[in-house]
Amino acid sequence: MRKAWSGLLVVLAAGGAAAADLRVLVTDQRGRPVANAVVGALPPTGSSPPAPASKTRTVNQAALEFVPFLEVFRPGDRVVFRNSDRTRHHVYSFSAAKAFEFVLSPGQSSSALTLDRAGVVAVGCNIHDGMINYLYVTDAPWTARTGADGRATLSLPDGVYTVQAWQPRLRPGRAQAVQERVRVASGTPAQLSFKLALLPDSRRARD
Amino acid sequence: MGFRFRLASFLVAALVTVQVLTAGLVYSVTRHQLIDEGKRQLAVAATAFGRQLEDISERVAASVQVLALDYALRSAIAQRDRATVRSALANHGRRVGAARMQLLGTDGRIEADTRPQLGQTEFAYLDLLERSYERPAAAVVSWQGRAYWVVAVPVFAPDLVGVIAATLPMDDALLARLQNQSVLPKTIELVGAAKDGWRVLARGRNHVSLVAALGAGGAPLPVQPRLVTVDGQEYLAQSVRLDGSGSGGEVAAVLAYSVDEALQPYRSVASAWAGLLGFGLVAGVFGAALIARRVSRPVEQLAASARRIADGDYDATPAVASGDELGALAAAFTSMSTAIQEREARILHQAGHDLVTGLPNRVAAEALIQRERMRSPESPAALLVVGLRRRPEIVKTMGHAVADRLMRDVGERLSRIMGEAVARATDTQFSVYLPGQGKPEAIASALRIVEALSAPYQEADFSIDIEAAVGVALAPEHGLEAATLLRRASVAQITALDTEEAAVIYDASTDPHRPERLSLMGDLREALDRGQLELRYQPKLNLATGMIDGAEGLVRWQHPRLGWVPPDQFIALAEETGNIRPLTRWAIGAGIVQAQRWNEGKRSLRVSINVSVRDLDDADLPRRVSELLDLHRVDPRSILLEVTESAVMNKPEAAIRVLRELADQGIDLAIDDFGVGQSSFAYLRQLPIAELKIDKIFTQRIGDSPADRAIVRSIVELGHELGYRVTAEGVENMDTLHFLADIGCDHAQGFVIAKAMPAEDFGRLIDSRQWVAVAERRST
Repeated sequence: MRKAWSGLLVVLAAGGAAAADLRVLVTDQRGRPVANAVVGALPPTGSSPPAPASKTRTVNQAALEFVPFLEVFRPGDRVVFRNSDRTRHHVYSFSAAKAFEFVLSPGQSSSALTLDRAGVVAVGCNIHDGMINYLYVTDAPWTARTGADGRATLSLPDGVYTVQAWQPRLRPGRAQAVQERVRVASGTPAQLSFKLALLPDSRRARD
Repeated sequence: MGFRFRLASFLVAALVTVQVLTAGLVYSVTRHQLIDEGKRQLAVAATAFGRQLEDISERVAASVQVLALDYALRSAIAQRDRATVRSALANHGRRVGAARMQLLGTDGRIEADTRPQLGQTEFAYLDLLERSYERPAAAVVSWQGRAYWVVAVPVFAPDLVGVIAATLPMDDALLARLQNQSVLPKTIELVGAAKDGWRVLARGRNHVSLVAALGAGGAPLPVQPRLVTVDGQEYLAQSVRLDGSGSGGEVAAVLAYSVDEALQPYRSVASAWAGLLGFGLVAGVFGAALIARRVSRPVEQLAASARRIADGDYDATPAVASGDELGALAAAFTSMSTAIQEREARILHQAGHDLVTGLPNRVAAEALIQRERMRSPESPAALLVVGLRRRPEIVKTMGHAVADRLMRDVGERLSRIMGEAVARATDTQFSVYLPGQGKPEAIASALRIVEALSAPYQEADFSIDIEAAVGVALAPEHGLEAATLLRRASVAQITALDTEEAAVIYDASTDPHRPERLSLMGDLREALDRGQLELRYQPKLNLATGMIDGAEGLVRWQHPRLGWVPPDQFIALAEETGNIRPLTRWAIGAGIVQAQRWNEGKRSLRVSINVSVRDLDDADLPRRVSELLDLHRVDPRSILLEVTESAVMNKPEAAIRVLRELADQGIDLAIDDFGVGQSSFAYLRQLPIAELKIDKIFTQRIGDSPADRAIVRSIVELGHELGYRVTAEGVENMDTLHFLADIGCDHAQGFVIAKAMPAEDFGRLIDSRQWVAVAERRST
């Protein structure tokens, strides 16, 4: 998926004006690289590229885990949950962006759910406490995910952007990390770093 | 301090000291151990308490977690169904015993609250909230004067949507429950930090104001066990800091063990100990007194016995029956006492008995007799003193050994016939005391004695004739005292020796040793001083002229009390006691004075004065006489000194010297009592004498005895041949006078002429011519 998105960005960049890379480093409050952080860049209003057609992605449940752990959507995209496990899964979400709940028998797929609002959808299984999955719905035309090294690269046409970073474990009660007016100029690789205050990884604790 | 008391007090003191020291040591060691143990236990208890609280919080958290996992609640929370959430919380809160249940948002805001507080919108303990994101967290907080346990549990749906906080009260009941469930110290206080120190939030079973003492004024509480005194009681206290919230105020638990309580079981031991000590003291005192008594009683007894032995009582030997040292001492004492007794008896016996004869000695005899006399002073008794006539010679010829055996034999013979009354009075005399015997019986006894001793003493080689002489003194007429009787019997015995009579009864009149005589001597000296003595003069008739031409001065004594004292009494006594010299001196002086008086009157009398044997020792005599003669301006030829024959013979050499000196002065000397002493003619020739005076023994018998007449005549012739004048004394009749005149005797003295008379009477006599006829007869 990532590659697909990156590829789209490159196309966009090639099709449009000159593009540059924006390298982003995301670390936590202790300076350690953070994986699975989504970095999105928003152009100033008015100059967003037209939205692509909505996509439908599938989140699988296998080995008592949601796969992938994090999926990035644009508003309007659809998601389908498929149970590849041999047990049932009671999938639910109480998130304000999308609330749903259904039980999937083994091998069953859910109907496609349209994610029309931007926001974070945290999905869990009522039967299996450790199962959790995040659907990050964002308006940002350009997004990238950090790897284990905490780095992501955005290829953006020149211009001024608002870059925001988000990670599933962001400490509640704090504003999302946002950095405004980042100028990207071709030929000049820009660097950005975000320091995020994160909660400890509760997945490990609970299982 | 007595031995008994010392021993008892030593034992008691030792006992008490040992006990007290031991008790003190044991108490301090025990206490130390207890406190150490208590500290260990307290530390353990503190840890245990902390863990117990943790257990509670974990249980509550677990329970709340179950709640937090409930799908319906999660759904209600996510959907902000406050009412449902609140009721679910309330329900669960009751289950876990929470006082308050809250749902908190991730921003710390209170979403639901079973006990909403006015104005409180935010969770009070945000740090607890933060901690709870990782896992359930708990803290002990103080709020409104109470302690609470706050447990915060995160709610995941599926990610963190909020935190449930349960607040449980930590009150006295909880502490009491905890104390009941486990071995916690009885005294627990939950205290919270306050402005001015620590505030008690909850208390365990025992209400003791520990923190008031420990953390007064906000002092930090001890985290190690510490000894503290509260209200007079001792406690080991320690505090445990309880996990709290930064905004909840510090809460600590103070645990304490009562040292006094721990020592309680030992109290009974201590009282038992004290009781034992008291008992031991009593027993010790008792035992010590007993032991001391066992020792000191025999010692006292022995001391008392020793005193009694010192006093002479040998019978009371202590009966100490023990077989130990004291018994040995008592046995030694007894044998010592016996030995002393025997020795004393022997000494007494020896003191009272004569070694040679085995008879009682003088002291014993005298004591015995004295006792008898004291018992019945009026009853008659006879005391016989038996002596041997020739004992001195026997000793001289046969020696003391033989003499002793002889005396033993005599003693045995006396004892055989006289029984137990016999004693050896002196070296030479035996005494026999016969109570109840009067004069005839005494004489009979005396004669029996003489008879019994008439047989000679036989030894192997020789025999000795004994020949006893017995003196008898009768009681009570001869004396009341034993000493007096003995003396008088002795005197009688000496008389018997002298007179050849077998037995003589004491006659006071002939006793030259009467004690009155001794006082007489004192009186004599007084008499000399006071002029109670006077010279009486007996005239000497010159047979050739028939005139009185001499006077013999004789001392006469008018005793103020006794009256007339015969000269043979006091002169002999004076000679024996050495008082004769002053007497002689006085006599010579008086005579010289009288001679001077007479011769001034142209009387021409020669005064004769007697000089005793003692005076012949006096080398000063001639000089004194000479002085007197010069003093009174008397011609030496007016004086004649008469010395007895026996006196001269006694000490011939000295006598000769003195007499010579006297004669050299021109004084005539005469030998008095001539013929009855032991004369040595060899010495007689050397004496510068002028006159011989024939003893009256011969003169008195001139009328009856031709032998005496022959003697007198011989003496006159002898004296004349030697150039001496001769005077005859004791002329009592005219025939004798005539005879003397016939044989040519120069002078005569005697009653027929005149008795001794005072000087003033003498004058009359001188002029008398009554004897001229006698003189005339002579010449024819």
